[in-house]
Amino acid sequence: MSKDTQLKAGERAFNGLLLLFSLGILYEAYQIAGLASINSPGAFPIMLGLIMTGSMLAILWGQRHHPKPDTRGALDEARQFTRQHFPLPIVVFSAMAIGYLVLLQLVGFLIATVLFLFVSQVYLRRGRWLASALITLGATAIIYALFKLLFQVYLP
Amino acid sequence: MIKQLLTGLALSAGTLAAVSPAFADYPERNVEGVIQWGAGGATDNVARSLTPHVEEALGTSIVLNNRPGGTGVIGMNTVMQKPANGYTVLYGAENPQLYPIMGLADFDYSAMTPINVIGQGLVVIAAPADKDWQNFGDLLDYAHEHPGELRMGGTGAGGLPSTVLAMVNSVDSLDVRNVTFGGDGPGITAMLGGHIDFMPLSLAAAQQHIASGRLKGLAVLTKASIEELPDTPPITDALPQIESYLPWGPFWAVAVRKDTPEEIVATLSDAYRKGVAHEDFQRFLAENGGKALNLQGEEAEQFLERWQSVTAWALQKAGSAKVSPEEVGIPKP
Amino acid sequence: MADSISYFLMAWLDPSLLMLTAIGTLAGIYVGAIPGLSVTMATSILISFTFAWDVNDALALIVGIYTGGVYGGSRTAILLNIPGAPSSVATSFDGYPLAQQGEAGQAIGLSTVMSVIGGLLGTLVLASVAPYLSDMALQFAPRDYFLIAVLGLLLVGSLAAESLSRGIFAASLGAVIGLVGLDPVTADPRFTMGSMQLMGGIHYVVVMIGMFGVAEAFFQLHQLNVKPVRQNVDKIIPSLHLVLKFLPLSIRTSLIGVIVGALPGTGGDIASLFAYDHAKRSVKNPSKPFGQGAYEGLVAPETANNAAVGGAYVPMLTLGMPGDAVTAIIIGALVIHGLNPGPMLMIQTPHIFWFTVGNLALANIFLLIFGLTGIKVFAKVVELPKAILIPLILVLCVVGSYSLNSSMTEVYWMLGFGLLGYFMKIFRFQMGPVILGVILGPLMDETYRQAMSSVGDDSGAFLLALVTNPLSLILSMAVVLLLLSNTPLKAMLARRKTR
Repeated sequence: MSKDTQLKAGERAFNGLLLLFSLGILYEAYQIAGLASINSPGAFPIMLGLIMTGSMLAILWGQRHHPKPDTRGALDEARQFTRQHFPLPIVVFSAMAIGYLVLLQLVGFLIATVLFLFVSQVYLRRGRWLASALITLGATAIIYALFKLLFQVYLP
Repeated sequence: MIKQLLTGLALSAGTLAAVSPAFADYPERNVEGVIQWGAGGATDNVARSLTPHVEEALGTSIVLNNRPGGTGVIGMNTVMQKPANGYTVLYGAENPQLYPIMGLADFDYSAMTPINVIGQGLVVIAAPADKDWQNFGDLLDYAHEHPGELRMGGTGAGGLPSTVLAMVNSVDSLDVRNVTFGGDGPGITAMLGGHIDFMPLSLAAAQQHIASGRLKGLAVLTKASIEELPDTPPITDALPQIESYLPWGPFWAVAVRKDTPEEIVATLSDAYRKGVAHEDFQRFLAENGGKALNLQGEEAEQFLERWQSVTAWALQKAGSAKVSPEEVGIPKP
Repeated sequence: MADSISYFLMAWLDPSLLMLTAIGTLAGIYVGAIPGLSVTMATSILISFTFAWDVNDALALIVGIYTGGVYGGSRTAILLNIPGAPSSVATSFDGYPLAQQGEAGQAIGLSTVMSVIGGLLGTLVLASVAPYLSDMALQFAPRDYFLIAVLGLLLVGSLAAESLSRGIFAASLGAVIGLVGLDPVTADPRFTMGSMQLMGGIHYVVVMIGMFGVAEAFFQLHQLNVKPVRQNVDKIIPSLHLVLKFLPLSIRTSLIGVIVGALPGTGGDIASLFAYDHAKRSVKNPSKPFGQGAYEGLVAPETANNAAVGGAYVPMLTLGMPGDAVTAIIIGALVIHGLNPGPMLMIQTPHIFWFTVGNLALANIFLLIFGLTGIKVFAKVVELPKAILIPLILVLCVVGSYSLNSSMTEVYWMLGFGLLGYFMKIFRFQMGPVILGVILGPLMDETYRQAMSSVGDDSGAFLLALVTNPLSLILSMAVVLLLLSNTPLKAMLARRKTR
């Protein structure tokens, strides 16, 4: 049981952020139309803001006695969090994904997709560049044919 | 390395610039048509029956999407957020001309380039068939006895029902609860179920339901009764003073973003002119109590300005304009 | 009567209509399977080809696409945890775990058979009681839609497996996302932070692709070296015994589907979530626990969303009121062909009704055939190494969200929601409630205000109306029951009993 209730590294920080976010939503909701009427554009948003804040408080309250993560200090917790959830492959892949989006706008769909698929597959599979190249070309051709030719979707 | 990258970038930017002015190929893909009202309403009906004929003339598909809400502001705003390349067109109704005085938005049709003013419609005030009222006069009497109790179907500030209500209120008093729907389609559905008591509707949306006997027409917004609904009296029977606002009716228009290249505007205008002129569409309009206009360019702009000035000042006189037309630069008719 | 039968059989006997229905169904399956390509879009593109055709040809093609498209969304939901359409979100809850256990083939096979059963039952209801059903649908006042939305939001209780507070938070977050943009009544901007881009709102498919597809892809990156599960593709077609076992459940969930589908304003997306919840509540001993690959969790949403197709035709054919976006396009097509798709349609042109019914039945037969062929190939997709699959998933997500609006904005949002989803998953938040909120939040807001305006902004009268009208009373009671069963109150009562 203790494994289930033990807080994960960064969990308190994340929940704290969500609480702040909920308060922000509440403030934004109040800005829409104030508290003038129960039938206003802001009425439902204010209710949502209250519910979000309330449920976040309930979560934090429920966790107050849960065992803390096995870390030494905030810095160590952050480090553990990064190691657990953002290991190198994920960071590199995210960077490639963002690069892909940028490339899409610069060089168009075909080149960007071929590049992205090829590079990311070679990276994730540590080599095997021939198989990756074949799969890349095949997949790009299928996606291109399906979207652009058959359904006439505009691609960047 | 960096130098190479930069030259590469410059090169690709150069090719982009060299390629993009070649509008001769327009349209080379689907065009998106944004309808500013919901499915099943008058604007929707008009857009969907017109579009196939335009597609024929344009040589590409026009994918229609309903983006209702906020008296059509949401749909119009959607189009204004898209690139000005002629691949997104707005199917709008009369409402944008009232956005400035209703404080809904700071733009109207003058912020776009009109492609075609398709036609103008008539208005009928409809009620569920099981109501006791025979005409608009009965409804007014009931409303006088029970102020603030009748539920009117509305489509938001600046929508057709609220405009009609404002006109009525400028010469009489009609105190009602305004229940807002995403368009006349959902409004009619609610009225069929008896969840609202009456709703001013464009004839194009209401006619079929009146013919089927589920709804009844209490009054048409004209000076004399009309061919399409011979049994429905003109509103002047019950409310002679309203005559000064008549004839009044909604219209439908197609527009694109202001900065759209001229060649594209010309191509689109041409296609829409042919589409509106198509005999099938003309028949559809006639059957649904609409009057075809098929105006382009200058003529369209003049029509839009005139309609805006007449309606805006009428609303101002009725005291329901939130911002004075004068303030937003709408001239007196 | 004889006329009706001959119209019913028309599509079955005419070779060209037969072909068109088949082509439509096949195309629909693939359109539906690709997130970002919607049935609505496919119908509106294909319909423009059909204007020169005979009206029956056009209708046959559309019916096929519609039927195939609603089913197709389940494919990617099961295989990749990316629902092809919002109506397949619930399918992924148990379908994806099944694929992870090597039962992708069986899951697709079962969902195909169940979709067909749902589709046929929906058609049967359409054929037999359409006028009554549409009269019933009209009885739903704004306050009843409001209650339905409340009921729907209470489903978080069963979607958020472990922590109710987290489920409620996630659903409210979804609702906030759904409200972003201009207020539909007054056009006031809400949560737009002054951005013109945001005034048009955030497309729920963007949220769906991001939180399901991208977040899952990131999670899978942790298991790069785990060998993919070998898929067992022997017994793909479910046994008659299995089908019969689920028949009572599938009839109940089909009814949910057809009723929710017939209400103008709600459709297959909401129906399938209701059905999933119903299965979870009513089935005491599922084949596996719900959320871990229960067959029942697959049966319910798949029957419901296909039954909703028949339901959506109800208001369209009887009143000329579209039940959803696809039927709105069909109405347009009928107008072009010189028909009057209004309340007089069934009187003036009764053959359209029986032709559509026959066609829907036929499309479901084709769905069975096409759905059950090629499963082995699809199941193999899951066997691909993660290192190949994940980049492909990302490309598909990007293309899908781009094609929604032909703009990169949606793509960045999609990636952002993917990252948020990844974080939320790490810290034990579930994605289902978020989508629930996105779909139901705007409906709840709009109908609440319609209901309030109807009673003159009097909250007392509003509450009174919720219990004095028979239909509203039933819905209110359902809300109260659901509320009781979701809260600690039930546990307290149960504890007292055992003492």
